[in-house]
Amino acid sequence: MHSSKSVAEPVRDEIRRIDDVISVGEDLDFQRRWWRFEKLAWLILVIVLAADALGAFGRGWLAGAERHSADGSLDVRYERVERAGTPSVMTVEFAPSAIEGRTMRLFSSLNIVNELGAQRIIPQPETSAIGPRDITYEFAGTGSPAVASIQLQPSFPGIHHIELQVPGKPAIRADILVLP
Amino acid sequence: MATLLHAILGYFVLLLTIRLLTRRPGSQLTLFEFVLIFLMGGIIIASTMGNDRSVTNATCAVVMVALLHRATSYTRNRWPSMGRLIDGVPLVIYETGKWREEVLREMRIAPEDVLAAARTKGYRGLDEIDYAILERNGQISVLSKQKT
Repeated sequence: MHSSKSVAEPVRDEIRRIDDVISVGEDLDFQRRWWRFEKLAWLILVIVLAADALGAFGRGWLAGAERHSADGSLDVRYERVERAGTPSVMTVEFAPSAIEGRTMRLFSSLNIVNELGAQRIIPQPETSAIGPRDITYEFAGTGSPAVASIQLQPSFPGIHHIELQVPGKPAIRADILVLP
Repeated sequence: MATLLHAILGYFVLLLTIRLLTRRPGSQLTLFEFVLIFLMGGIIIASTMGNDRSVTNATCAVVMVALLHRATSYTRNRWPSMGRLIDGVPLVIYETGKWREEVLREMRIAPEDVLAAARTKGYRGLDEIDYAILERNGQISVLSKQKT
């Protein structure tokens, strides 16, 4: 009934031997494949870091973009790659041809507010009129070049198509990729 | 929803990174590794929670991570091949008087680490042991000649 061994005696595990070699579940073929994968993974991670440093994932040299309207009335500097929840600035520069009297008007697709999270516009527009899929800002201007900065903070990852124009002039269209 | 997705992504990014860092001999956390854990944890928390620091959001994120951990544990127990991927396999470092140079090199283990493990088990040197094995949890097991 009872084992001859005392309960106080420590348990000694037997390690199985196969062909007189200890069997502990080692799998050197798997481990060698893992080591190869590990080297490849580190190489990829270094490339990812280098790409990030260059701005491929936003906030850097590669992410910066600039577009001009066909008639040169508008110039937009923005980041073609943005990050969700991270603030950035889109700069809109009006050429003299965009100034009517002492005002400048900017027509913007509504997704700049809804999806790219336009938080503030500097200088503050005198008026803003909301349409079904657009918003038109009116700024007071005294001279050229006149620059407006739109502070963005995108909420949703994805590709967002934006459109900016001085009403009656050619539009600037651009795609902005927002990363999670 | 975004928090849950961030928690899932964060969990697997951390799992992969920690796995790629390989097992440390001795498996005990040094100050050096505490830096890694706190810094990586902090970075993932900031991304997971975003601007929503509510108790609801934190609770959902914690529950999601717990669920992922449970699922990962189940997966590695259910499918041994997944277990090998997640935890690795035991590796023989020292075998009847011979060092496995490849394992020492790839796992960045020095013979001194094995000798230290042997001393903690009460062995004076290599002449008293037959096998040294790097276990899946990072500990080094030593087997005396009479044990095997």
